[in-house]
Amino acid sequence: MTTPGISVLDGKYMVTMDLFPQQSKEFNQVYAFYENLKQGRFTTTKCADCGAESFPPRVMCPECFSTNMQWIDWPNEGTVIEFTEEVVGVPLGFGKAPLVHALVDLQGKKTMFVRVINCAEGQLKVGDKVRVAVFDVDPVPQEVKGGIQEIPRVFYAFEPVT
Amino acid sequence: MDRNVCIIAGGMSKWGVRNGSQRDFFQEAAKACYEDNLQVNPKEIDGLLVASAYTERTSYQTHLAPLVAEHIGVKPKSICARVELLCASGSSAIILAFGLIKAGQADVVMVMGGEKLYTPQKWEVFYSELASVDHDWDGPQGLGLPPPVFAMVAKQHMKQYGTTKEQLGAISVKNRRNAALNPKAQFQQGITKDEYMNARPIVQPLSLFDCCPITDGAAGVILCAEEKAKQLTDKPLVYLRGTGQASVNNMSANMPSWTTWEALKIAGQEAYRKAKIEPKDVKVAMTHDCFTISEIIEMEDLGFCKKGEGGPFVGEGQNDLGGKVPTNTDGGLLGCGHPFGGTGIRQAIEVMKQLRGDATQQVKGADIGLTHNLSGFIAAHTVLVYGREPV
Ligand SMILES: [Zn+2]
Repeated sequence: MTTPGISVLDGKYMVTMDLFPQQSKEFNQVYAFYENLKQGRFTTTKCADCGAESFPPRVMCPECFSTNMQWIDWPNEGTVIEFTEEVVGVPLGFGKAPLVHALVDLQGKKTMFVRVINCAEGQLKVGDKVRVAVFDVDPVPQEVKGGIQEIPRVFYAFEPVT
Repeated sequence: MDRNVCIIAGGMSKWGVRNGSQRDFFQEAAKACYEDNLQVNPKEIDGLLVASAYTERTSYQTHLAPLVAEHIGVKPKSICARVELLCASGSSAIILAFGLIKAGQADVVMVMGGEKLYTPQKWEVFYSELASVDHDWDGPQGLGLPPPVFAMVAKQHMKQYGTTKEQLGAISVKNRRNAALNPKAQFQQGITKDEYMNARPIVQPLSLFDCCPITDGAAGVILCAEEKAKQLTDKPLVYLRGTGQASVNNMSANMPSWTTWEALKIAGQEAYRKAKIEPKDVKVAMTHDCFTISEIIEMEDLGFCKKGEGGPFVGEGQNDLGGKVPTNTDGGLLGCGHPFGGTGIRQAIEVMKQLRGDATQQVKGADIGLTHNLSGFIAAHTVLVYGREPV
């Protein structure tokens, strides 16, 4: 890896240029979300005191302010309420146009606005079923005790259920 | 102490794809602001607030306010700080200046806002916009750039209320026409209905002229206590009457509704209540037309027309000159462009001119004016009400 124009940064990792979140326990207290995602589970935190299920996952319940959180599985399949296809201006890191997004009813838990992958232009229809699709993203070279350790990472989109 | 607060000067740099740096534009804007009111001696300004969202990202500069103060010849002693709420940074800074002056913590405050968004390689600004939404959750879905979000809003509004592409076009044609009369605006040429309808698609149903551009530029205004304003301007006084700013969610998964903007209704009602007015009293408005559909929903949720009737309202010209509430008479975001921190300041300048009676496209009898911004993933709304009289 080189960094043109800024030779002192050659080979250096920059968190400020990373489009994905930090997923190691040293840099993220909800790292379990990503650990679970690696196993194909779509999870979030549930408040053990008031029962509120929040997304994104929390350290503190925004309803009753308890910090007594437990991880629960959420559905990993939902229904397309509406969708969009971005044909111009797809940002770096999201492949070739079109970039497809859908507003997905996650079985009443939340209405998620998410990227839909493995889906051709014109393929998606309102009412279609889509499911969580987990993919690998670039690992983070993190400093650990004087050395560099590669922290593997994943993220999720949705894909049509065929 | 609870004092009335006036806006007594305002000016902006040329906005657009500009040669120059952030600090260059702040100097140009300050010069224009000083020239708007030669009775104000910049040495008398005791506070400075600077609104900028991307200064740390595209100019690698924090601690911006003292840098701007040094360049514009101001030596603040009551407040000298930066304010950030992305697209509403400028309006947020005005609200804070209002509160400080009202409470007697400051007397004459300059509020500036601006951005240098174009970088030597254009991809960087689009990539940097991942910071505008929830970086960890919405950003990795490719939602840093807003067109898919507003296309989803438009699609749902069309489905729910029958809003048409032609009605979206009425906003674009109006605001581009207004911008053509504003020499500081990014776009100096209007567009025809045909050009609008035939523009290349970005995300259906939005095409090129439904979207505001990326913009470099800055703007500045000066606010002060009423007693001071009487000494510092011979022009009609313009008062800041009331403000509201609301947020009910940030991440997309927590949007209560895509077509009724709850936070806008809350912010609007709060501003109306404090200003002791009703929506029908507003004679001129600068609302956040980042996309054409936004202005339509804003007409509804600010109470200028009934819910769901925003499309016909704008289609009939009710928010154009001669209509019920002429909106974005200076060209709006669609025509002037949108250097995030600068936008709320630009809106304040146009409302100030309208209420003073010296706007380029003067709305007759304008005595109450409103500005509005949405920011982030439609995650916060900011409303300010100005008037020819204090509350
Ligand atoms: Zn709880």
